[in-house]
Amino acid sequence: MTSPLPRRPTWLNVLGVVALVALAIGAWLGLRVSPPDVNQGDLIRVMYAHVSVAWVSFLAVGVAAFAGIAFLWTGKRRFDVVSLAASEAALLFGALTIIGGMTYSKPTLNTFWTWDAKLTLTALMVALLAGVFIVRGLIEEPVRRGRVSAVILIVVLASLPLNYLAAEWFRTLHPAKSIDLTGGGVTMDATMLEVLLFNVGAAALMFTWLLIERVRLGLREAELEDRRGRGGEQAEVVRV
Amino acid sequence: MTGRSGFTADIRTLFAITGKDLRSEARSKAATVATGFFSSVTLVVLAFALGRDSALMTAAAPGVLWVALAFSGVISAAQAYQSDLADGAFEQLLTLPIPRAAVFLGKLLANWLTMTLLGAVLLPIASVLFDAPIGAGVPQLLLTIALGTLGFAIIATFYAALTANLQARESLLPVLMFPVVVPVLLAAVRATDAIVTGADVGLAGDWIQLLAGFDLVYLVVTSAIFHIVVEE
Repeated sequence: MTSPLPRRPTWLNVLGVVALVALAIGAWLGLRVSPPDVNQGDLIRVMYAHVSVAWVSFLAVGVAAFAGIAFLWTGKRRFDVVSLAASEAALLFGALTIIGGMTYSKPTLNTFWTWDAKLTLTALMVALLAGVFIVRGLIEEPVRRGRVSAVILIVVLASLPLNYLAAEWFRTLHPAKSIDLTGGGVTMDATMLEVLLFNVGAAALMFTWLLIERVRLGLREAELEDRRGRGGEQAEVVRV
Repeated sequence: MTGRSGFTADIRTLFAITGKDLRSEARSKAATVATGFFSSVTLVVLAFALGRDSALMTAAAPGVLWVALAFSGVISAAQAYQSDLADGAFEQLLTLPIPRAAVFLGKLLANWLTMTLLGAVLLPIASVLFDAPIGAGVPQLLLTIALGTLGFAIIATFYAALTANLQARESLLPVLMFPVVVPVLLAAVRATDAIVTGADVGLAGDWIQLLAGFDLVYLVVTSAIFHIVVEE
Protein backbone atom coordinates (compact mmCIF):
# COMPACT_ATOMS: atom_id res chain seq x y z
CA MET A 1 0.00 0.00 0.00
CA THR A 2 2.81 2.36 0.81
CA SER A 3 4.53 3.87 -2.20
CA PRO A 4 8.29 3.24 -2.25
CA LEU A 5 10.46 6.10 -1.14
CA PRO A 6 11.53 7.92 -4.31
CA ARG A 7 15.24 7.53 -4.97
CA ARG A 8 17.27 10.48 -3.84
CA PRO A 9 18.47 12.15 -7.06
CA THR A 10 22.22 12.67 -7.45
CA TRP A 11 21.82 16.27 -8.61
CA LEU A 12 20.33 17.18 -5.24
CA ASN A 13 23.47 15.97 -3.45
CA VAL A 14 25.56 17.86 -5.98
CA LEU A 15 23.51 21.01 -5.36
CA GLY A 16 23.96 20.64 -1.61
CA VAL A 17 27.74 20.24 -1.90
CA VAL A 18 27.96 23.16 -4.35
CA ALA A 19 25.91 25.38 -1.99
CA LEU A 20 28.11 24.52 1.00
CA VAL A 21 31.32 25.02 -0.98
CA ALA A 22 30.03 28.36 -2.34
CA LEU A 23 29.23 29.43 1.21
CA ALA A 24 32.75 28.52 2.34
CA ILE A 25 34.34 30.35 -0.62
CA GLY A 26 32.10 33.34 0.07
CA ALA A 27 33.26 33.41 3.69
CA TRP A 28 36.90 33.11 2.60
CA LEU A 29 36.46 35.93 0.05
CA GLY A 30 34.83 38.12 2.67
CA LEU A 31 37.44 37.38 5.36
CA ARG A 32 40.66 37.31 3.31
CA VAL A 33 40.24 38.74 -0.21
CA SER A 34 38.05 41.79 0.45
CA PRO A 35 40.01 44.91 1.42
CA PRO A 36 39.15 46.47 4.80
CA ASP A 37 36.68 49.35 4.64
CA VAL A 38 37.83 52.98 4.80
CA ASN A 39 35.55 53.78 7.72
CA GLN A 40 34.70 50.46 9.32
CA GLY A 41 37.96 48.56 8.85
CA ASP A 42 37.62 44.80 9.27
CA LEU A 43 34.05 45.13 10.56
CA ILE A 44 32.89 45.44 6.96
CA ARG A 45 33.46 41.68 6.65
CA VAL A 46 30.31 41.06 8.70
CA MET A 47 28.41 42.91 5.97
CA TYR A 48 28.97 40.13 3.40
CA ALA A 49 27.22 37.52 5.52
CA HIS A 50 24.59 39.93 6.82
CA VAL A 51 23.48 41.60 3.57
CA SER A 52 23.37 38.38 1.55
CA VAL A 53 21.23 36.65 4.18
CA ALA A 54 18.92 39.70 4.37
CA TRP A 55 18.34 39.82 0.62
CA VAL A 56 17.58 36.12 0.50
CA SER A 57 15.09 36.41 3.37
CA PHE A 58 12.99 38.82 1.29
CA LEU A 59 13.38 36.61 -1.77
CA ALA A 60 12.04 33.73 0.36
CA VAL A 61 8.97 35.72 1.43
CA GLY A 62 8.26 36.47 -2.23
CA VAL A 63 8.57 32.79 -3.15
CA ALA A 64 6.28 31.84 -0.24
CA ALA A 65 3.61 34.34 -1.25
CA PHE A 66 3.68 33.48 -4.94
CA ALA A 67 3.58 29.75 -4.19
CA GLY A 68 0.58 30.55 -1.98
CA ILE A 69 -1.10 32.39 -4.85
CA ALA A 70 -0.35 29.42 -7.13
CA PHE A 71 -2.03 27.15 -4.55
CA LEU A 72 -5.12 29.36 -4.47
CA TRP A 73 -5.14 29.40 -8.28
CA THR A 74 -4.66 25.71 -8.97
CA GLY A 75 -5.56 24.00 -5.70
CA LYS A 76 -2.54 21.71 -6.12
CA ARG A 77 -1.20 20.64 -2.76
CA ARG A 78 2.45 20.82 -3.83
CA PHE A 79 2.26 24.61 -4.12
CA ASP A 80 1.19 24.80 -0.48
CA VAL A 81 4.16 22.59 0.38
CA VAL A 82 6.48 24.99 -1.51
CA SER A 83 4.85 27.94 0.24
CA LEU A 84 5.39 26.38 3.67
CA ALA A 85 9.00 25.49 2.83
CA ALA A 86 9.74 29.02 1.62
CA SER A 87 8.04 30.54 4.70
CA GLU A 88 10.23 28.44 6.98
CA ALA A 89 13.34 29.48 5.02
CA ALA A 90 12.20 33.12 5.21
CA LEU A 91 11.82 32.81 8.98
CA LEU A 92 15.30 31.27 9.29
CA PHE A 93 16.97 33.85 7.06
CA GLY A 94 14.98 36.66 8.69
CA ALA A 95 16.10 35.58 12.17
CA LEU A 96 19.71 35.36 10.92
CA THR A 97 19.36 38.85 9.44
CA ILE A 98 18.24 40.26 12.78
CA ILE A 99 21.02 38.49 14.69
CA GLY A 100 23.56 39.59 12.08
CA GLY A 101 22.27 43.15 12.08
CA MET A 102 22.46 43.37 15.86
CA THR A 103 26.01 42.02 16.04
CA TYR A 104 26.97 44.37 13.21
CA SER A 105 25.48 47.49 14.77
CA LYS A 106 26.94 46.93 18.27
CA PRO A 107 30.57 47.65 17.25
CA THR A 108 29.75 50.13 14.45
CA LEU A 109 26.97 52.15 16.06
CA ASN A 110 27.56 51.12 19.69
CA THR A 111 24.03 49.84 20.23
CA PHE A 112 22.26 46.56 19.55
CA TRP A 113 19.11 48.10 18.25
CA THR A 114 18.99 51.32 16.23
CA TRP A 115 15.46 51.24 14.78
CA ASP A 116 17.24 51.24 11.46
CA ALA A 117 14.68 51.02 8.67
CA LYS A 118 15.81 47.74 7.17
CA LEU A 119 16.33 46.00 10.48
CA THR A 120 12.93 47.15 11.74
CA LEU A 121 11.34 45.93 8.52
CA THR A 122 12.94 42.51 8.96
CA ALA A 123 11.72 42.31 12.54
CA LEU A 124 8.18 43.11 11.39
CA MET A 125 8.51 40.50 8.65
CA VAL A 126 9.54 37.86 11.17
CA ALA A 127 6.54 38.81 13.33
CA LEU A 128 4.25 38.52 10.29
CA LEU A 129 5.68 35.11 9.40
CA ALA A 130 5.26 33.92 12.98
CA GLY A 131 1.56 34.66 12.53
CA VAL A 132 1.46 32.38 9.49
CA PHE A 133 2.91 29.47 11.48
CA ILE A 134 0.62 30.01 14.46
CA VAL A 135 -2.44 29.93 12.19
CA ARG A 136 -1.15 26.91 10.27
CA GLY A 137 -0.80 25.05 13.53
CA LEU A 138 -4.43 25.71 14.45
CA ILE A 139 -6.10 24.43 11.27
CA GLU A 140 -6.42 20.67 10.85
CA GLU A 141 -7.94 20.53 7.41
CA PRO A 142 -5.13 20.72 4.79
CA VAL A 143 -6.93 22.62 2.01
CA ARG A 144 -8.34 25.24 4.39
CA ARG A 145 -4.94 25.54 6.07
CA GLY A 146 -3.23 26.15 2.74
CA ARG A 147 -5.78 28.71 1.64
CA VAL A 148 -5.68 30.66 4.90
CA SER A 149 -1.89 30.69 5.00
CA ALA A 150 -1.79 31.84 1.36
CA VAL A 151 -4.19 34.67 2.20
CA ILE A 152 -2.04 35.79 5.12
CA LEU A 153 1.08 35.65 2.96
CA ILE A 154 -0.60 37.86 0.36
CA VAL A 155 -1.36 40.44 3.06
CA VAL A 156 2.21 40.10 4.34
CA LEU A 157 3.58 40.73 0.86
CA ALA A 158 1.31 43.76 0.39
CA SER A 159 2.27 45.18 3.76
CA LEU A 160 6.05 44.87 3.30
CA PRO A 161 6.49 47.95 1.04
CA LEU A 162 4.25 49.98 3.36
CA ASN A 163 6.15 48.71 6.38
CA TYR A 164 9.37 49.68 4.65
CA LEU A 165 8.10 53.23 4.18
CA ALA A 166 6.95 53.30 7.80
CA ALA A 167 10.29 52.03 9.06
CA GLU A 168 12.12 54.51 6.86
CA TRP A 169 10.09 57.46 8.12
CA PHE A 170 9.87 56.31 11.69
CA ARG A 171 12.67 58.58 12.83
CA THR A 172 12.32 61.25 10.18
CA LEU A 173 10.29 64.39 10.53
CA HIS A 174 8.99 64.77 7.03
CA PRO A 175 7.78 61.84 4.94
CA ALA A 176 7.75 63.27 1.42
CA LYS A 177 11.26 64.69 1.44
CA SER A 178 13.15 61.57 2.46
CA ILE A 179 12.27 59.21 -0.39
CA ASP A 180 15.53 58.02 -1.82
CA LEU A 181 15.53 55.02 -4.10
CA THR A 182 19.21 55.28 -4.98
CA GLY A 183 20.25 53.75 -1.66
CA GLY A 184 21.85 56.97 -0.49
CA GLY A 185 24.45 56.88 -3.24
CA VAL A 186 26.85 54.60 -1.38
CA THR A 187 29.80 53.84 -3.61
CA MET A 188 31.54 50.55 -3.23
CA ASP A 189 34.93 49.27 -4.21
CA ALA A 190 34.71 46.95 -7.24
CA THR A 191 36.29 44.01 -5.38
CA MET A 192 33.94 44.50 -2.45
CA LEU A 193 30.92 44.56 -4.73
CA GLU A 194 32.05 41.34 -6.43
CA VAL A 195 32.60 39.65 -3.07
CA LEU A 196 29.17 40.80 -1.91
CA LEU A 197 27.48 39.53 -5.07
CA PHE A 198 29.27 36.18 -4.72
CA ASN A 199 28.01 35.91 -1.15
CA VAL A 200 24.48 36.77 -2.24
CA GLY A 201 24.72 34.03 -4.87
CA ALA A 202 25.97 31.55 -2.26
CA ALA A 203 23.13 32.43 0.13
CA ALA A 204 20.62 32.06 -2.72
CA LEU A 205 22.06 28.62 -3.57
CA MET A 206 21.80 27.65 0.09
CA PHE A 207 18.17 28.79 0.09
CA THR A 208 17.42 26.83 -3.08
CA TRP A 209 18.95 23.68 -1.64
CA LEU A 210 17.12 23.98 1.70
CA LEU A 211 13.90 24.75 -0.17
CA ILE A 212 14.12 21.65 -2.35
CA GLU A 213 14.98 19.41 0.61
CA ARG A 214 12.09 20.84 2.63
CA VAL A 215 9.67 20.47 -0.29
CA ARG A 216 10.62 16.80 -0.68
CA LEU A 217 10.03 16.27 3.02
CA GLY A 218 6.82 18.29 2.88
CA LEU A 219 5.42 16.16 0.06
CA ARG A 220 5.99 13.03 2.15
CA GLU A 221 4.32 14.73 5.12
CA ALA A 222 1.35 15.67 2.97
CA GLU A 223 1.06 12.09 1.74
CA LEU A 224 1.17 10.76 5.29
CA GLU A 225 -1.41 13.31 6.43
CA ASP A 226 -3.74 12.30 3.58
CA ARG A 227 -3.44 8.62 4.54
CA ARG A 228 -4.03 9.28 8.22
CA GLY A 229 -7.08 11.30 7.25
CA ARG A 230 -8.49 8.55 5.05
CA GLY A 231 -7.30 5.30 6.60
CA GLY A 232 -7.21 6.07 10.32
CA GLU A 233 -5.22 3.36 12.09
CA GLN A 234 -4.16 1.81 8.79
CA ALA A 235 -1.54 4.47 8.44
CA GLU A 236 -0.11 3.67 11.85
CA VAL A 237 0.78 0.16 10.69
CA VAL A 238 2.86 1.26 7.72
CA ARG A 239 5.51 2.73 9.97
CA VAL A 240 8.88 1.68 8.67
CA MET B 1 -28.12 40.03 -11.30
CA THR B 2 -25.53 41.47 -13.65
CA GLY B 3 -24.53 44.89 -14.94
CA ARG B 4 -25.72 48.17 -13.47
CA SER B 5 -28.69 46.89 -11.56
CA GLY B 6 -26.45 44.18 -10.06
CA PHE B 7 -24.05 46.80 -8.81
CA THR B 8 -26.72 48.89 -7.12
CA ALA B 9 -28.15 45.70 -5.62
CA ASP B 10 -24.71 44.89 -4.22
CA ILE B 11 -24.44 48.36 -2.71
CA ARG B 12 -27.84 47.89 -1.11
CA THR B 13 -26.69 44.52 0.25
CA LEU B 14 -23.63 46.21 1.69
CA PHE B 15 -25.71 48.82 3.49
CA ALA B 16 -28.16 46.18 4.68
CA ILE B 17 -25.30 44.29 6.34
CA THR B 18 -23.95 47.50 7.86
CA GLY B 19 -27.44 48.30 9.13
CA LYS B 20 -27.82 44.82 10.60
CA ASP B 21 -24.51 45.04 12.46
CA LEU B 22 -25.20 48.55 13.75
CA ARG B 23 -28.74 47.64 14.85
CA SER B 24 -27.55 44.53 16.62
CA GLU B 25 -24.84 46.59 18.32
CA ALA B 26 -27.32 49.32 19.28
CA ARG B 27 -29.46 46.68 21.01
CA SER B 28 -26.78 44.60 22.72
CA LYS B 29 -24.23 47.40 23.26
CA ALA B 30 -21.66 44.63 23.83
CA ALA B 31 -18.83 46.14 21.76
CA THR B 32 -19.63 49.72 22.71
CA VAL B 33 -19.45 49.03 26.43
CA ALA B 34 -16.35 46.83 26.10
CA THR B 35 -14.37 49.18 23.85
CA GLY B 36 -15.54 52.34 25.58
CA PHE B 37 -14.46 51.24 29.03
CA PHE B 38 -11.39 49.44 27.79
CA SER B 39 -10.01 52.43 25.93
CA SER B 40 -10.75 54.79 28.84
CA VAL B 41 -8.94 52.43 31.20
CA THR B 42 -6.03 52.26 28.74
CA LEU B 43 -5.81 56.06 28.77
CA VAL B 44 -5.79 56.17 32.56
CA VAL B 45 -3.23 53.38 32.90
CA LEU B 46 -0.92 55.07 30.40
CA ALA B 47 -1.42 58.37 32.20
CA PHE B 48 -0.27 56.72 35.44
CA ALA B 49 2.66 55.08 33.67
CA LEU B 50 3.89 58.31 32.10
CA GLY B 51 2.50 60.88 34.49
CA ARG B 52 5.57 62.03 36.43
CA ASP B 53 6.28 64.87 34.05
CA SER B 54 3.50 66.95 32.46
CA ALA B 55 5.60 67.90 29.41
CA LEU B 56 6.21 64.20 28.76
CA MET B 57 2.48 63.50 29.01
CA THR B 58 1.63 66.22 26.49
CA ALA B 59 4.24 64.89 24.09
CA ALA B 60 2.95 61.34 24.48
CA ALA B 61 -0.73 62.25 24.02
CA PRO B 62 -1.06 61.43 20.26
CA GLY B 63 0.62 58.05 20.73
CA VAL B 64 -1.52 57.24 23.76
CA LEU B 65 -4.74 58.06 21.91
CA TRP B 66 -3.82 55.70 19.07
CA VAL B 67 -2.70 52.90 21.36
CA ALA B 68 -6.11 53.03 23.06
CA LEU B 69 -7.86 53.05 19.68
CA ALA B 70 -5.74 50.22 18.30
CA PHE B 71 -6.46 47.90 21.23
CA SER B 72 -10.16 48.75 21.15
CA GLY B 73 -10.24 48.07 17.41
CA VAL B 74 -9.25 44.46 18.03
CA ILE B 75 -12.05 43.95 20.55
CA SER B 76 -14.60 45.65 18.33
CA ALA B 77 -13.74 43.59 15.24
CA ALA B 78 -13.74 40.27 17.11
CA GLN B 79 -17.12 41.19 18.62
CA ALA B 80 -18.58 41.85 15.15
CA TYR B 81 -18.25 38.17 14.24
CA GLN B 82 -18.90 36.72 17.68
CA SER B 83 -22.60 37.52 17.70
CA ASP B 84 -22.94 36.24 14.12
CA LEU B 85 -21.17 32.98 14.78
CA ALA B 86 -22.98 32.23 18.03
CA ASP B 87 -26.11 30.89 16.36
CA GLY B 88 -24.81 30.03 12.90
CA ALA B 89 -26.10 33.26 11.41
CA PHE B 90 -22.87 33.86 9.52
CA GLU B 91 -23.10 30.54 7.65
CA GLN B 92 -26.66 31.42 6.73
CA LEU B 93 -25.49 34.78 5.43
CA LEU B 94 -22.87 33.08 3.26
CA THR B 95 -25.42 30.76 1.66
CA LEU B 96 -27.19 33.80 0.17
CA PRO B 97 -26.33 34.69 -3.44
CA ILE B 98 -24.54 37.91 -2.54
CA PRO B 99 -20.92 38.83 -3.20
CA ARG B 100 -18.54 38.08 -0.34
CA ALA B 101 -16.93 41.49 -0.85
CA ALA B 102 -20.31 43.11 -0.03
CA VAL B 103 -20.41 41.14 3.24
CA PHE B 104 -16.86 42.22 4.05
CA LEU B 105 -17.38 45.88 3.14
CA GLY B 106 -20.70 45.97 4.99
CA LYS B 107 -19.16 44.66 8.20
CA LEU B 108 -16.17 46.92 7.65
CA LEU B 109 -18.39 49.98 7.35
CA ALA B 110 -20.22 49.16 10.58
CA ASN B 111 -16.95 48.52 12.37
CA TRP B 112 -15.42 51.71 11.02
CA LEU B 113 -18.38 53.86 12.09
CA THR B 114 -18.24 52.56 15.66
CA MET B 115 -14.47 53.03 15.77
CA THR B 116 -14.66 56.59 14.43
CA LEU B 117 -17.33 57.40 16.99
CA LEU B 118 -15.13 55.96 19.73
CA GLY B 119 -12.20 58.01 18.45
CA ALA B 120 -14.28 61.19 18.46
CA VAL B 121 -15.27 60.50 22.08
CA LEU B 122 -11.73 59.63 23.18
CA LEU B 123 -10.21 62.71 21.56
CA PRO B 124 -11.45 65.29 24.11
CA ILE B 125 -10.88 62.86 27.00
CA ALA B 126 -7.25 62.30 25.96
CA SER B 127 -6.83 66.02 25.36
CA VAL B 128 -7.94 66.81 28.91
CA LEU B 129 -6.18 63.92 30.67
CA PHE B 130 -2.87 64.50 28.93
CA ASP B 131 -3.08 68.28 28.91
CA ALA B 132 -2.75 68.54 25.14
CA PRO B 133 -5.00 71.38 23.93
CA ILE B 134 -6.50 70.69 20.50
CA GLY B 135 -8.18 74.04 19.75
CA ALA B 136 -8.47 74.84 16.05
CA GLY B 137 -7.20 71.50 14.79
CA VAL B 138 -10.43 69.60 15.50
CA PRO B 139 -11.63 69.11 11.87
CA GLN B 140 -8.20 67.85 10.82
CA LEU B 141 -7.98 65.63 13.88
CA LEU B 142 -11.38 64.13 13.12
CA LEU B 143 -10.25 63.45 9.54
CA THR B 144 -7.11 61.74 10.88
CA ILE B 145 -9.21 59.67 13.26
CA ALA B 146 -11.57 58.67 10.44
CA LEU B 147 -8.70 57.60 8.16
CA GLY B 148 -6.67 55.93 10.92
CA THR B 149 -9.59 53.91 12.25
CA LEU B 150 -10.45 52.95 8.66
CA GLY B 151 -7.00 51.38 8.31
CA PHE B 152 -7.43 49.50 11.61
CA ALA B 153 -10.97 48.45 10.73
CA ILE B 154 -9.91 47.06 7.33
CA ILE B 155 -7.22 44.80 8.75
CA ALA B 156 -9.17 43.94 11.91
CA THR B 157 -12.37 43.01 10.07
CA PHE B 158 -10.37 40.94 7.59
CA TYR B 159 -8.35 39.02 10.17
CA ALA B 160 -11.29 38.63 12.53
CA ALA B 161 -13.12 36.70 9.80
CA LEU B 162 -10.02 34.58 9.31
CA THR B 163 -9.60 33.75 12.99
CA ALA B 164 -13.31 33.55 13.88
CA ASN B 165 -13.32 29.75 13.79
CA LEU B 166 -9.94 29.19 15.41
CA GLN B 167 -8.95 28.49 18.98
CA ALA B 168 -7.28 31.24 20.98
CA ARG B 169 -8.68 33.86 18.59
CA GLU B 170 -8.64 36.58 21.25
CA SER B 171 -4.86 36.49 21.47
CA LEU B 172 -4.31 35.49 17.85
CA LEU B 173 -6.05 38.49 16.31
CA PRO B 174 -3.68 41.15 17.72
CA VAL B 175 -0.64 38.97 16.91
CA LEU B 176 -1.68 38.80 13.26
CA MET B 177 -3.02 42.31 13.02
CA PHE B 178 -0.51 44.63 14.65
CA PRO B 179 2.52 44.00 12.41
CA VAL B 180 0.31 44.77 9.41
CA VAL B 181 -1.16 48.00 10.82
CA VAL B 182 2.22 49.46 11.82
CA PRO B 183 2.28 51.85 8.81
CA VAL B 184 -1.27 53.04 9.57
CA LEU B 185 -0.46 53.51 13.24
CA LEU B 186 2.70 55.45 12.46
CA ALA B 187 1.07 57.77 9.93
CA ALA B 188 -1.93 58.38 12.23
CA VAL B 189 0.24 59.17 15.26
CA ARG B 190 2.50 61.48 13.28
CA ALA B 191 -0.44 63.30 11.68
CA THR B 192 -2.08 63.76 15.09
CA ASP B 193 1.20 64.95 16.55
CA ALA B 194 1.71 67.45 13.72
CA ILE B 195 -1.80 68.85 14.17
CA VAL B 196 -1.59 69.10 17.97
CA THR B 197 1.83 70.78 18.03
CA GLY B 198 0.74 72.90 15.07
CA ALA B 199 4.29 73.51 13.94
CA ASP B 200 3.92 72.95 10.21
CA VAL B 201 0.63 73.00 8.31
CA GLY B 202 1.91 71.04 5.31
CA LEU B 203 3.40 68.29 7.47
CA ALA B 204 0.06 67.10 8.86
CA GLY B 205 -1.39 67.14 5.34
CA ASP B 206 1.44 64.95 4.06
CA TRP B 207 0.94 62.35 6.78
CA ILE B 208 -2.83 62.38 6.19
CA GLN B 209 -2.31 61.76 2.47
CA LEU B 210 0.03 58.93 3.28
CA LEU B 211 -2.54 57.48 5.66
CA ALA B 212 -5.18 57.61 2.92
CA GLY B 213 -2.74 55.82 0.58
CA PHE B 214 -2.13 53.01 3.10
CA ASP B 215 -5.89 52.63 3.60
CA LEU B 216 -6.45 52.38 -0.14
CA VAL B 217 -3.81 49.68 -0.64
CA TYR B 218 -5.16 47.57 2.24
CA LEU B 219 -8.77 48.09 1.18
CA VAL B 220 -8.10 46.89 -2.38
CA VAL B 221 -6.04 43.86 -1.33
CA THR B 222 -8.39 42.66 1.43
CA SER B 223 -11.59 43.18 -0.61
CA ALA B 224 -10.07 41.20 -3.46
CA ILE B 225 -9.16 38.15 -1.37
CA PHE B 226 -11.84 38.17 1.34
CA HIS B 227 -13.95 35.59 -0.50
CA ILE B 228 -11.14 33.04 -0.03
CA VAL B 229 -11.21 33.55 3.74
CA VAL B 230 -14.88 32.74 4.21
CA GLU B 231 -15.06 29.93 1.65
CA GLU B 232 -15.63 26.63 3.37
